[in-house]
Amino acid sequence: MSTSIDIRSVTKTYHRGGEALRVLDELDLQMAGGTFYALMGPSGSGKTTLLNLIGGLDHADSGEVLVGDEDLTQLDGSSLAQWRAENVGFIFQGFNLLPVLSARENVELPLLLAPLSKRQRREQAERALELVGLQDRMDHKPRELSGGQEQRVAIARAIASDPQIILADEPTGDLDRTTADSVLELLQRLNRELDKTILMVTHDPQAASYAGKVIHLDKGKLGRIDDNTAAAARS
Amino acid sequence: MPWKLLFRNVLGHPMRSVLTIGSVAVAVFLVCILHAVTAGLRSTVSAASADRLLVQSAVSLFVDLPLSYQQKMAGVPGIEAICKWQWFGGRYEQDKGGFFQQFGIDTDTFRTSYPEISLIDGSYEEFVKNRTACLIGTELAEKYDWRVGQTVPITGTIYQRTDGKAWEFLVAGIYESSSPSIDQQTLWFHFDYLHESLEAGGASGPEGVGVYMLRMAKGTDPISVQRTVDAMFENGPQRVNTTTEAEFNRQFVSMLGDVPSLLQMVGGAVLFAIFFAVLNTMIMAGRERTRDLGIMKAIGFTDRTTALLLVGESVLVCSLGAAVGILGGLLLEKPFQAAMSSFIPAFAFDKNTLLLGAAIALGTGLISGLVPGWRAARLTTVQALREVG
Repeated sequence: MSTSIDIRSVTKTYHRGGEALRVLDELDLQMAGGTFYALMGPSGSGKTTLLNLIGGLDHADSGEVLVGDEDLTQLDGSSLAQWRAENVGFIFQGFNLLPVLSARENVELPLLLAPLSKRQRREQAERALELVGLQDRMDHKPRELSGGQEQRVAIARAIASDPQIILADEPTGDLDRTTADSVLELLQRLNRELDKTILMVTHDPQAASYAGKVIHLDKGKLGRIDDNTAAAARS
Repeated sequence: MPWKLLFRNVLGHPMRSVLTIGSVAVAVFLVCILHAVTAGLRSTVSAASADRLLVQSAVSLFVDLPLSYQQKMAGVPGIEAICKWQWFGGRYEQDKGGFFQQFGIDTDTFRTSYPEISLIDGSYEEFVKNRTACLIGTELAEKYDWRVGQTVPITGTIYQRTDGKAWEFLVAGIYESSSPSIDQQTLWFHFDYLHESLEAGGASGPEGVGVYMLRMAKGTDPISVQRTVDAMFENGPQRVNTTTEAEFNRQFVSMLGDVPSLLQMVGGAVLFAIFFAVLNTMIMAGRERTRDLGIMKAIGFTDRTTALLLVGESVLVCSLGAAVGILGGLLLEKPFQAAMSSFIPAFAFDKNTLLLGAAIALGTGLISGLVPGWRAARLTTVQALREVG
């Protein structure tokens, strides 16, 4: 069953140099499970902050962040860590692979937190790498891979533990157009074939075109939501 | 705990890891050596016999006592035997840099006064019978390949023969000692041989006795004997200082200064230096891994696990350093023993020395890892990922 996301009157303020900066301002937003969302908006509009709150990486000052049945604002640090391990896969702009581990070991990393045997972990990591088309690069270290391959490893790591939600922060920001398209196609496949709920922060309209819905944020508030389903289906 | 990541992090910077392991190894090795020296010195003092007193000049150990004192002291109640000791200070010409002690002693009272010495080759009777005979320690015999029946030439530096030749001593026996207060590298010869040579004009040098050893009868109060002997020569010609053997050994060691304290201070300084070096390395490693820590936390690893990863890395590096240092110490124990046995017969890497080395390394690793570990635990995922840029 896919997981829905419900943001209720969420406020988040950062304090920098004695100045309070309200990044999210009483934001209300509902996202259906099993949908590929793109999150757009100008810099400082609160995109990454919202992504962090939904991923349980940060705490809201007020309001509720409901992911599935869980209100993340009620969880403490270690409970959030456990929740993240079981429910969310992250993809970052800078790939963020551990340089000392091979592709397979990077993908196995989140599986260390699951009750799996060594063999099961290995098999599951290999399946994830096959899914992203890197079956012949499993033993390569990140420095031996291209940018696109590194991001595919990051995607494999994000899906290895079979989370319902995948959160991607500018996943194609460091990639050329062709490579970016192949990564976006992969995300689209994960949404369509595995019913994952995907929330992708992007500045790039072309990247957003792969999403079914595009959420526009502006100064911490919801601007509008564009339904892109038909266009995305053609891509 | 992601053990593989822990090991990979150590192997990820091979040069840094090797240098850190090497510096910990050197520190552990040095601390073990220093501990072995101080323990050896203490052991030498504590292994001293309780029924032996030593009489030396009250002025200095280097001032000789008159020969006539022996007869006077013999009348003191409780003294069973007296043995003269005289430092010879000779040198074996074939090994000018080598050092070992030679003493002239009284052969008739020496053996019964030092039951910890036993002959493994030769005969004490032969030693007593032959005026130019000597006893040598097992290590000395091994070092120069000297055997019973062989004549060894020793050139006197304090006592020189008037014919310009070296003194010749016939090896009559090879001894070993069961007590660390007596080393295995000493050469003992007849005090009378030296004395008679001086009297006959065959040699030149100071006449007298360096130290008188007094063996007390069972049940004798040593303090009473000490007081009686000291009082006996209160008005000269040479005032004396009578001490227990333990006190004599302690004073001998302290002639070089407070060696154990000095060595402990050196050891402490080494530890401080290495602690800061490892701490600096681990703080650097922790900062470099900020991004990795952020990723791990985002994936679902707890603050505790990320902290333990850094503590574990530090402990692993220091443990490897300790292992190398202790192994090096064990491999070099014998050569060190051979080099130091004349000064510190009890020098050895005992269990306590090895445990101390291991404990120091583990403690250094633990404390050095706690600083970056604490930072890692406090670091929020967002902060860590933001530092990536």
